[in-house]
Amino acid sequence: MIDNRTELAPAQSRLTLRVNGAACEIAAPPSTRLLQVIREFIGLTGTKRSCEIGRCGACMVLVDGEPVNACLAMAYQVQGAEITTIEGIASGTELHPVQRAFLEEGGFQCGYCTPGMVLSVKALLDRSPDPSDEEVEEALSGNLCRCTGYGGIRRAVRRAIELGR
Amino acid sequence: MLLDRQGSGRRWRIRPDGPGKVTGGLAYLTDMAAPGMLIGLVLRSPHPHALILDIRTENAKRVPGVRAVLTHEDVPGLNAFGIARQDQPVFCFDRVRYVGDAVAAVAADTLEAAERALSLIEVDYAEQPVLDSPEKALAEGAPLLHPCGNELHRTDYRLGDPEQWFKACTVIVEETYVTPRQMHTYMETEGGLFVPEPDGRLTVYSPTQHGFMDRLQLSRVLGRPQSDIRVVSSPIGGSFGGKDELNVQPYGALLALAAGKPVKIHNSRKESVRAGLKRHPMVISMKTGADAEGRILAHRVKIVADTGPYATLGAEVLNFATEHVIGPYRIPNVDVDSVSVYTNNGMSGEFRGFGGNQAIFALEGQIDRIAGRLGIDPWELRRRNMRQPDDPGPLGQPIAPTEGAAQVWQALAESPLWRERSQGVPEDDREREHWIKTGIGAAYIMHGAGLGVGIPDPAGGRLVLAEDGKIEAVFGYEEFGQGLIATLELMMMETFGFEAEDVRIVIGDTDVVPDSGSSTASRATSMLWKSVQNMKGPFTESLLSAAADLTGNPADQLRLGPGGVYAMPEPDAASGNDAGSMLLSYAELASRTTEPIRAETAFHFPTTSSKRIGAHFLYTYSAVAAKVEVDTLTGRVRLLDQYHAVAAGPVMNPQGYLGQIEGGSSMALGWTLTEEALMAGGRYLTNNLDTYLIPTVAEHAGNVAVRPIEELPEGDAYGPRGIGEIGSVGLAPAIAAAVRDAVGVWVRKLPIDPRELQDIPHFARKAVLQHDR
Ligand code: FES
Ligand code: FES
Repeated sequence: MIDNRTELAPAQSRLTLRVNGAACEIAAPPSTRLLQVIREFIGLTGTKRSCEIGRCGACMVLVDGEPVNACLAMAYQVQGAEITTIEGIASGTELHPVQRAFLEEGGFQCGYCTPGMVLSVKALLDRSPDPSDEEVEEALSGNLCRCTGYGGIRRAVRRAIELGR
Repeated sequence: MLLDRQGSGRRWRIRPDGPGKVTGGLAYLTDMAAPGMLIGLVLRSPHPHALILDIRTENAKRVPGVRAVLTHEDVPGLNAFGIARQDQPVFCFDRVRYVGDAVAAVAADTLEAAERALSLIEVDYAEQPVLDSPEKALAEGAPLLHPCGNELHRTDYRLGDPEQWFKACTVIVEETYVTPRQMHTYMETEGGLFVPEPDGRLTVYSPTQHGFMDRLQLSRVLGRPQSDIRVVSSPIGGSFGGKDELNVQPYGALLALAAGKPVKIHNSRKESVRAGLKRHPMVISMKTGADAEGRILAHRVKIVADTGPYATLGAEVLNFATEHVIGPYRIPNVDVDSVSVYTNNGMSGEFRGFGGNQAIFALEGQIDRIAGRLGIDPWELRRRNMRQPDDPGPLGQPIAPTEGAAQVWQALAESPLWRERSQGVPEDDREREHWIKTGIGAAYIMHGAGLGVGIPDPAGGRLVLAEDGKIEAVFGYEEFGQGLIATLELMMMETFGFEAEDVRIVIGDTDVVPDSGSSTASRATSMLWKSVQNMKGPFTESLLSAAADLTGNPADQLRLGPGGVYAMPEPDAASGNDAGSMLLSYAELASRTTEPIRAETAFHFPTTSSKRIGAHFLYTYSAVAAKVEVDTLTGRVRLLDQYHAVAAGPVMNPQGYLGQIEGGSSMALGWTLTEEALMAGGRYLTNNLDTYLIPTVAEHAGNVAVRPIEELPEGDAYGPRGIGEIGSVGLAPAIAAAVRDAVGVWVRKLPIDPRELQDIPHFARKAVLQHDR
């Protein structure tokens, strides 16, 4: 864990939350972004940083199961919450079906958007296992990918829906 | 046959870098951290153009936790960088020329301390007139941005006598095309980790498209031998040309050495927009004439490119555009004049397509307009002017002959999308709301690969049987998402009969790889193929002869296979399924052999014999059709369907090939419809992804059909041609033609302004269309 901010964190601001099932207690000012909490305090770098204004979805995580841009959420807003990052959805070495679908269909190139994309798809399919094309577009419109032109991503989503049947 | 997963069978493989990407386990270089590392920040100019009167850093240095504050006085070597021409200061000292110019840098224990220190650096500026357009920069009396003036580069090409031949033309089309400043928008912004090593060397973990070029440039800046610097440059979260030039590396390196501690820099998006490269905005004026049969007789072109404050590869981009305004056509009289102009706008530079995008958008616009004026089918007009295999290249230079131009022409003519156009609007389209109009258009492209004549373009690589029995394929190429590792793995399996587990790919580390040249200009896959071909014989031979020594079997009765060396099956058993038995695994071979087993190759990217700087020898051909829907109430264009025929030789990696065309065309879609990094007075108005709009999944509702044409002429020695850029150059003109087909409006400026397409009076549209089709 590389922590560049502890010295500025007042001792009283303890953030407690669960990340991928593990309880964490962190000394972070309440206004710290969840993105920093995850990447810098906890050291999980699968959650990516790109626009930091909630436009690209690279930093997407699940907060109590709901997709949230970690660059917009403040530490105090996730006090006590259950956070799931990309590192937390496989069971052991067994990939999550959405991860498998992305892998098999080649739903990525540089891979920088992939963690956020996978989590958005997972959240969608958890909610609606057989979504229409419109629902898919709606659910993924906050996840930008510059490499693929979304062709592989659409194929991966279709495959993930099949795998879930 | 169209390219897809089903049709590719076992060649559609899971990428070796895939598991790390879908699990988030792969650490990008901007994810790295080191114990005790500092955070680095760069102070950039608030002004697009100003003189620097004084820089004071005392207060910044006093901030607790600050370990280094650097200015131009602290650059031990050359205070300048640039791949082609070193005219960009690492730290400005007398003048700033754009809002991304660096004046100072700090490293501190925490981001907060670094930010505080940055805010305490005092710089006195005297603002200067802002040259925010090429016109202003070229005007009489304009201040000179560089000692050589405000022209970075001027070039031309002449053939025949256009002036004379315009008189013989039945139709002459004159138009000026305007293209936007496009941002690469790689999702991973620039950054990296810079580590001073105990032995005095420096390790640079930072994305780039050519690690050895970064090493050379850093050695100049740091005033240290290249051998003191190690550059680790992959994996990369997207580049598209944008990380080819140095970005944060000089600052990270200088700060780390000054502070004696690891330094991390990771640009915010806003800083990335402000300092980073963009696609050159160009204004291209064309006058093109044809006879009554549609044969183009004369073509005159003027290109003005806004290159921003410094060179990087602006001159090379201009050369490329100059070559590509002529296209796959036989034009007997040509006159091209091009200039790339320094301004106080943002940096322009290398970007997928490399000036071909702008040139081809304009050229194809001319071809469609001529067809319209003459009442000739636009695709037929292209056939009448099409180049022949043995014709010289666009600049009159000898090129590798292929049938590519004719092949892609034919494929498109037979495509369902083009047949739909020739046969009129199908039933389902007519039922749409009457203000929704659909149209289909096409474009025809040849696009050069490699850096061209006059620019060092080395290639090569190494194969080694490593001590642990892995076959190492060692190349100086970079993985920025294109699938280079996957392509190389498949190539090794198919060339030698290895299985994936036998092979270890080693790239992106200047300490261990040979200089294979840059991963740019659609060259890496071609060069991998050529390298592997060169090494196939010698490497196979040395593996087999070592195996022969150890097993006692003659080498000519041994073969390579999955996992190890096999005995050749008996001739009479060949018809059965006796594949022979494995005699020796690669691991056994490695542990028992005494001789090192390796092969190496080094060569130069093939170039034309012409002396013309930048002229290409290998080309990829493509024909693109697009179907769009225009809402005439809003003026919005939606892309419904695309078809790409691509003649680039054999498909090395089906998933990668499809991905390159799909991804390239997505960038072209953005360039055509929404993307523009707007500037006013030398300042960006679009600072982040809320106002700079790249395509989302919703804009990609339509089908993308990709038809690779793999045949090459017999005896062709060059193998697969590049496909990294071809997908990004043809879609814009195809969409422009489709818009014209839908609503009768000629597009001349990108991104398409919806206002131009709103509410076309019905009677006018009908009259125009009848005249033109
Ligand atoms: S980094 Fe959070 S949405 Fe872009
Ligand atoms: S794979 Fe590169 S941004 Fe999506």
